[in-house]
Amino acid sequence: MACTHAFVPLEPSMPQTTIYRSPRSLGLQDSPPPAVETAELARLFGRSAALAGVSLRVEPASVIALVGPNGAGKTTLLRILATAIRPSFGSAKVDGLDVTRHADLVRTRIAYLSHATGLYDDLTARENLRFSAQLLGLATADAVQGIEAALAEVLMTDAADLRVRGFSAGMRKRIALARILLAAPSLVLLDEPHAALDADGMALVDRMLDAWRGVGVTVILASHAVERIAHLVDGTVHLDGGLVAEVTGRGVASLPPAIRDSTPAIAGAAR
Amino acid sequence: MSSLGRTAAAAWAIARKDALAELRGKHAATSTLFFAALVLLLFGFALGPDSRKLADAAPGLLWLAIVFAGLLTVARLHAVETDDDALEQLALYPVDRRAIYAGKVISGLVAMLVLGMVLLGVVTILYGMNLGPALPALLLTLLLGTLGFAAVGTFYAGVTVRMGAREVMLPLLVLPIVAPLLLAAVKATGAALGGDPSGELGAWLQLLVGFDIVMLVAGAGTYGFLLEDV
Repeated sequence: MACTHAFVPLEPSMPQTTIYRSPRSLGLQDSPPPAVETAELARLFGRSAALAGVSLRVEPASVIALVGPNGAGKTTLLRILATAIRPSFGSAKVDGLDVTRHADLVRTRIAYLSHATGLYDDLTARENLRFSAQLLGLATADAVQGIEAALAEVLMTDAADLRVRGFSAGMRKRIALARILLAAPSLVLLDEPHAALDADGMALVDRMLDAWRGVGVTVILASHAVERIAHLVDGTVHLDGGLVAEVTGRGVASLPPAIRDSTPAIAGAAR
Repeated sequence: MSSLGRTAAAAWAIARKDALAELRGKHAATSTLFFAALVLLLFGFALGPDSRKLADAAPGLLWLAIVFAGLLTVARLHAVETDDDALEQLALYPVDRRAIYAGKVISGLVAMLVLGMVLLGVVTILYGMNLGPALPALLLTLLLGTLGFAAVGTFYAGVTVRMGAREVMLPLLVLPIVAPLLLAAVKATGAALGGDPSGELGAWLQLLVGFDIVMLVAGAGTYGFLLEDV
């Protein structure tokens, strides 16, 4: 069924700080671990290396951009950190938790927006968010309150009871962003968050990045919109051919290679 | 909430979501039912008006129709996860993977139970049978049979969901595994309809219970691996 609802963007509001929550502390160490730490992280697809040995450390409460040409390894890095795929070599930790060995715990601390939104066409926007809230384990009252706040934040309250099947790509992305707000993660992973959005939508993403930084949430986003995000990010990682080409800014550091040259499978695939 | 409570709540949420999607996409369920009823109708024509022959064939034909409808149902319940890559998102929620399996089994079971009951009604009308006293045993057989089929079908629907030829692969993988279940279900249905003169109904139902337990435990223990590296 085609959506006949005319989506009228509301006036952008200031971020509703109640839905941007500070990350929960692990309470294990005196000083918090890096938000993300990778060591010689590599991922092979057949004989091709999408990542060929990436060693990075991202400090908590940083907004970090991954930039680089198509095939540089940005999406693969995000998907490994999101626990969607496993590394072939090396390791990756989120808040000190290994993404392979402690994937279940990592999933309680991350939220990931991929190119696909993962929404169910036959459910309404509100039902999709309610489903997410249930799987996130939110109490009913918190879920109801959180869903309304998240819908308002992404300016989709008016379309909340329409089936997602009729939504444009931009509207779907707004609902996927609302789902991230429900999760209240400590690490947000965004793959091309500005893609498919109109000007209001892109401004919304900018405000969300700002709000997350304000409450201490770490954000890593892959983007081709380098100029647009330049003032929003603390640091930038330039990836090329599955390797770190350059790191600029603060909040992120590239670690020296340790095993890449001595691991023939990675070195060969990278070539 | 306890870990078990969270797992149960997540399974219920998944089953509820699938039921909602099935109800809203009712054209798919309707076509499945129509297809299964057509199988029963055509076999009825082929066997002729001989009521004895129809009664003998009814258990097998009923389960044949349920299997066809069941394969389409479990495939459809997983296909909904491939739209917009919902399966990857589902796999990234912080829930026990057994909850995802349980949710899918519940939604498959409910859909197949409804289909099975309608088909039982169709058999009664088309083949002129009197279910009366056999109804409780028939319903128990239907419950146990569809539960086992949902347990196996859900697992293999997960195996084939990302395959290009999943419509071909799903029956090829499922049907050999469910052969004991179909044998027991057909025999139990026949015994129930015939008044169980030789007292074999209990044994066939026990086989169904055993099959269901083994398949549910195996499915719950292994389904999570299907969600890795999605």
